[in-house]
Amino acid sequence: MHISEGVLSPAVLGAGAALAAAGTAIGLKKMDYDAIPRVAILSAAFFVATLIHVPVGPVGLHLVLNGLMGLLLGWAAVPAILTALFLQALLFQFGGLTVLGANTVIMALPAVVCFYLFRPLLRRPGIAQSVGAFACGFTAILLSALLVAVALISTGQAFLQVAELAVLAHIPVMFIEAVITLFIFLFLKKVRPEMLEDLYA
Amino acid sequence: MRKQTSPTIAGDSFLHRPLSAAGARLRMRDDEEILFDSGRRHPWKICYPWLIPILLCLCFLTPASPALAHRVLVFAYAEGDTIHTESKFVGSGAVQQGQVQILDQKTGKVFLTGTTDDQGKFSFKIPPEAAAQRLDLLVVVEASMGHRGEWQMKAESYLPTAETAAGAAPIAPGSAAAVAPAPEASTTPTPPVPPEIRAPAVDRQMLEDAMNKALERQLAPIKEMLTELTIHRTSLTDIIGGIGYIMGIFGLLAYFQSRKKKDS
Repeated sequence: MHISEGVLSPAVLGAGAALAAAGTAIGLKKMDYDAIPRVAILSAAFFVATLIHVPVGPVGLHLVLNGLMGLLLGWAAVPAILTALFLQALLFQFGGLTVLGANTVIMALPAVVCFYLFRPLLRRPGIAQSVGAFACGFTAILLSALLVAVALISTGQAFLQVAELAVLAHIPVMFIEAVITLFIFLFLKKVRPEMLEDLYA
Repeated sequence: MRKQTSPTIAGDSFLHRPLSAAGARLRMRDDEEILFDSGRRHPWKICYPWLIPILLCLCFLTPASPALAHRVLVFAYAEGDTIHTESKFVGSGAVQQGQVQILDQKTGKVFLTGTTDDQGKFSFKIPPEAAAQRLDLLVVVEASMGHRGEWQMKAESYLPTAETAAGAAPIAPGSAAAVAPAPEASTTPTPPVPPEIRAPAVDRQMLEDAMNKALERQLAPIKEMLTELTIHRTSLTDIIGGIGYIMGIFGLLAYFQSRKKKDS
């Protein structure tokens, strides 16, 4: 998911940075005092999860957890992901500072989209809720993989080819994340329903 | 009638099933409100104990698993007139079918391109142009999905140094740069060289050639080790440090927001 430095064209980098800045501004505005610990913890979870690679396929895969972040944070997922990516770029040269904006958009935009897409489903009781949580985790990765392909169009690589490769490579991640999102959602609903209260009341 | 008049009496609700459901719902709402209120009053008490074991598990898994697989590591070395490159994803193996570009580091001019094999290797002859002008080369490898690595190759590291070239010993026989200056260099200091004295020079050249080969062979594992050492592997300390940074950043944010709250 992390695009390296020097791959993307300046136009894409600029657009990514602008979008990420706008998203972060909205996220910070929507994030109230009480939400901060939650955002911090999920940011830390993202930070750790994206560092762990399982050698599957040509590149090695890692969890992203952006579906879960969208589900639990909404717009606040953008500053959370930005913070974690910034630290990864700084500490591990993972991604890079110039691609920070683009990488943030690739991972945070699906989180926000999924938040709005599955909110109606997650508000309904019963099986619909579970389906919503599963789909939320699944779709977020799918969208991220497609966004990687979109970002790489500018480098002259054929969109369909890259998209196919990215989506195929991430199929295992999609299912794993869907299950993780589902379980954490159900667990929170049982143990800490008040956490989901303000988003899905 | 009692159904409508006493919905709040939970005690006898087991007599009337529809009532018990209503009672339960009422009680649940009370519970939620209390929990929600207490959460509002002590925001820092909302810690998420379920996440702590998950985070810890992830932390302790990390050092064992190959982290940073997404960084492409490129390594290049010269052997005679050929430059060998090796590219791999840190931790998870070779970059197969990666696009290799050899550039001039200053101008960004592309000398040649190629594709890595299944071991992530790609070899090429030193471009004569680069050798003649003693240009620093940049090896860029692009793997799939936006992964990219670079390796800088200084002119000194793939061309024989000026002194050895002047010493009438073209080390790499095929190298254009080494061949070109050598005759001048050898002729200028000692113009009238009798053929008998030239003979040991040839011997010396052969000796140096052999020594170079032997050295290259011997140094190969050391080069390998050096590349391994240049990789910064993620350690537990890094990760815990990162988590600490995140908590600190959001702690600062919380601090400023709490001040704003007080001011208003």
